[in-house]
Amino acid sequence: MDLISNLGLGFATAGSPTNLLFCLIGVILGTLIGVLPGIGATATIAMLLPITFQLEPVSSLIMLAGIYYGAQYGGSTTAILINMPGESSSAVTAIDGYQLARKGKAGTALAVAALGSFFAGSVATLLVAILAPLLTIVALKFGAAEYFSLMLLGLVAAIALAHGSILKALAMTVLGLLLGVVGTDIYTGTPRFTFGITAYADGLNFVALAVGVFGIAEILRNLEGEQDRTVLTTKLGSLWPSRADLKAMIAPMLRGTLLGSALGILPGGGAILASFASYTVEKRISKTPEEFGKGSIAGVAGPESANNAGAQTSFIPLLTLGIPANPVMALMVGAMIIQGVVPGPNVAAEQPALFWGIIASMWIGNLMLIVLNLPLIGLWVKLLTVPYHVLFPIIMAFCSIGVYSVNSNVYDLYAVAGFGLMGYVLMKLRCEPAPLLLGFVLGPLLEENLRRAMILGRGDPTTFVTRPISATLLGLTVIVLIVMLLPQVSKKRAEVFSEAE
Amino acid sequence: MARPINKTDAAAGGLFIAVGVLFAVQSMGMEIGTALRMGPGYFPLVLSGVMILLGAAIVFTAFSSEDEPVGTLAWRGMMFILPAPIFFGLTVRGLGFVPSIFFTTLIAARAALKMSWLASLILSVAVMIFCTLVFSVGLGLPFRRFGPWLPV
Amino acid sequence: MALHRILTGALAGTILSSGALMAQDYPERSITMVVPFAAGGPTDTVARLVAEKMSTDLGQQVIVENVGGAGGTLGAGQVATAEADGYTVLLHHIGMATAATLYRNLAYDTLAAFDYVGLVTEVPMTLVGRSDLEPADLASLVTYVKENADTLTMANAGIGAASHLCGMLFQQALNVSLVTVPYQGTGPAMTDLLGGQVDLMCDQTTNTSEQIRGGTIKGYGVTTPARLEIFPDMPTVAEAGLAGMEVSIWHGIYAPKGTPAEAVERLSASLQTVLADPTLAASLAELGTAPSPATDGTPAALQAKLESEIARWEPVIADAGVYAD
Repeated sequence: MDLISNLGLGFATAGSPTNLLFCLIGVILGTLIGVLPGIGATATIAMLLPITFQLEPVSSLIMLAGIYYGAQYGGSTTAILINMPGESSSAVTAIDGYQLARKGKAGTALAVAALGSFFAGSVATLLVAILAPLLTIVALKFGAAEYFSLMLLGLVAAIALAHGSILKALAMTVLGLLLGVVGTDIYTGTPRFTFGITAYADGLNFVALAVGVFGIAEILRNLEGEQDRTVLTTKLGSLWPSRADLKAMIAPMLRGTLLGSALGILPGGGAILASFASYTVEKRISKTPEEFGKGSIAGVAGPESANNAGAQTSFIPLLTLGIPANPVMALMVGAMIIQGVVPGPNVAAEQPALFWGIIASMWIGNLMLIVLNLPLIGLWVKLLTVPYHVLFPIIMAFCSIGVYSVNSNVYDLYAVAGFGLMGYVLMKLRCEPAPLLLGFVLGPLLEENLRRAMILGRGDPTTFVTRPISATLLGLTVIVLIVMLLPQVSKKRAEVFSEAE
Repeated sequence: MARPINKTDAAAGGLFIAVGVLFAVQSMGMEIGTALRMGPGYFPLVLSGVMILLGAAIVFTAFSSEDEPVGTLAWRGMMFILPAPIFFGLTVRGLGFVPSIFFTTLIAARAALKMSWLASLILSVAVMIFCTLVFSVGLGLPFRRFGPWLPV
Repeated sequence: MALHRILTGALAGTILSSGALMAQDYPERSITMVVPFAAGGPTDTVARLVAEKMSTDLGQQVIVENVGGAGGTLGAGQVATAEADGYTVLLHHIGMATAATLYRNLAYDTLAAFDYVGLVTEVPMTLVGRSDLEPADLASLVTYVKENADTLTMANAGIGAASHLCGMLFQQALNVSLVTVPYQGTGPAMTDLLGGQVDLMCDQTTNTSEQIRGGTIKGYGVTTPARLEIFPDMPTVAEAGLAGMEVSIWHGIYAPKGTPAEAVERLSASLQTVLADPTLAASLAELGTAPSPATDGTPAALQAKLESEIARWEPVIADAGVYAD
């Protein structure tokens, strides 16, 4: 079996004491930096990247991959504990994870996230190993029209992110889309809505938006009633998930893994949909949808699994095509080039030790993460006993550094303050921030692919329905929309009838 | 029988309408283009339209639902929390990383009534030392520790 | 305007005189090399390779700082206003010259705001097509493109990107106008080329060489005067009679205007040493490029290059009528 011998080579490479050490260092550093509030995977990698340049190619990439998983993991921890996501994926985790923490079930939420991530990571790694070349062919079938339809499907899913008014959720999504449009139009070079500030020419910074509307708005809300500290329960509750919790997470974890793996393969940005999509699915099929947004185990397990699975499979386009699927992968490409390995379709054949070593290290890294993090849960949860008025100035300091470190752009810091205010006002008006974030990440992709599809299709809008994959996705969108709106409609009708009686 | 208006929803809807109008006006200043070659204004203009419609719908529903109180506002929080990152942005290059992060923490700490001046100072010094060690010394981020505004 | 000049002159004068005092010990602390693009990109890669070698030669760390955004103009603007003490330098590519025309409201005056250290490298570009594109070689591609100008699509990595500039030259050389499809960076553009969603692209050899070798895209020609060592069978565009399409992505190191002459000389001398270093040549060869000859690692060479490139691109960009501001 080729696969066995290849995996053997991979584990032999990744399992060498040096590489194990660098994997461990990467995972630890990634977790530690990523767990600092407001600092997500991108900021962490931007900070730690130069450290890896001095190493051997394999060790360097293994360490970078370790940093990547570690940072994602750390980001989820902060999202759960203090509602401070540093990444779009952990924004979803924050919705229910933070509510669990407020209920005194922070330990449960963290453990569920860790277990879900590990399971998803393991399955997705195996998928990468077995199916990488095959999946690549499928991924290349996705053109602009397909991506547009996929993003549209993702947007419809945004409705499920909110547990309040659907109208407001929609309005927040559109607001997110509009904010995502800010910056230079890539088709004409026209600056849009930048108010003449060149620093916003590449768009608003996602980390600034996420930190502002989630984290800072939450700090402000907590400062409202300083006297009655309802913020976080002093009672920590049990650290470990109960048997019932574990049972509740299995199905969402499986579905999340599947969904995340599939979306992660798409080089055009499918992975960012993973956690949002999983949340939608779970809420939709849950027997207790009313729990979502108030501390649902499934609402943490599903998206966390999906997110981690997507993170693994997003290595597929990088490894088989040499195409980076997200900014983190772009950094990996840079690291490979600096190490003298030019990523491309030949890497697997010409550098088998590197290729399979990275794949094996994915699994080793995930294993290390869970071994490292399960015992740490107790420590993280203890952080909640730090008095809030000591915690939040520290959070503000880390946020400032984290946002600045991504691009050394001081305007991103001004944006943080602006988004903090905006998030707070919207929160007071009972508008939830999650759909806004989804809109923001999808906005540019939606527009870019819509316009590109129209250009490639010579202005013929039927291109969206004549291409089979695109048509299927659009069909799904319609179905999802109907399924979503039906209960609302029937509820309204029920109300009307009851009033009439 | 006049029903109470849901002021929160009315305000939210009004805000969305205002934002929609703002973006729409800006979009009209740009080339709209055609469906084949959409100009930079096409997509935002469509979105602004949707936004205004949704805002109007939210205002409309405000008339048929109960009022919910907005609650207290964190004025002190806003006065100190929001300027903290702005201050960091304004001074990180001029003053340098070390003094800038110190004052940033200090400003943020003043948002809490519970923090005495002394406690704020101690906390800010601790954060300053920790951040300098971790980010500047440990990770070697290209921050200038002390900037040109300071006499050497 | 006049007052502004006098002020900058006076300011430069004071800095110069204060700089003379410290010049003997230069450099006495680490030097920041600003790269106006994100970490991990091709320019960042070149900068890190060079910075590492220069650190050894100067005896002080040369730290790369990524200040990305707005086609490199944010980082360049930041260096233009940085302290001219020899401890902040800029490594920028051809975009330094094209931005002068592409951006009509630049925050700095490209020719007046910088001192020159030297040229670093020139990366050749390759004209490539999707793997199942009909023509087998450059000569038949030329005829094919002329006949099918209405239906062919040409990808680029965004306004002002190397692939955009090269694409403009290609279309002007053939006197055709293809449907241009901009992408957000090289990655997605290459993905669509691999997937056969677009037909043609012209990009840095750094990005194309492995794909060409793997047979996932077709390599038609190189934009340098001579053929490349890694692709001896691939003709140059000049061989196919495409006049004026020669283009390469050159990189240079700049310092803010008014940097002490001694510091500039020291940096330039260090750059020349590094350019002659065979290990740098080996690393750059992996990228499909080579260091500039050490004799080009001089202020005069970079200044001449920048001036001639600004003059060259101005009409090209004006003809295409595309601006990025």
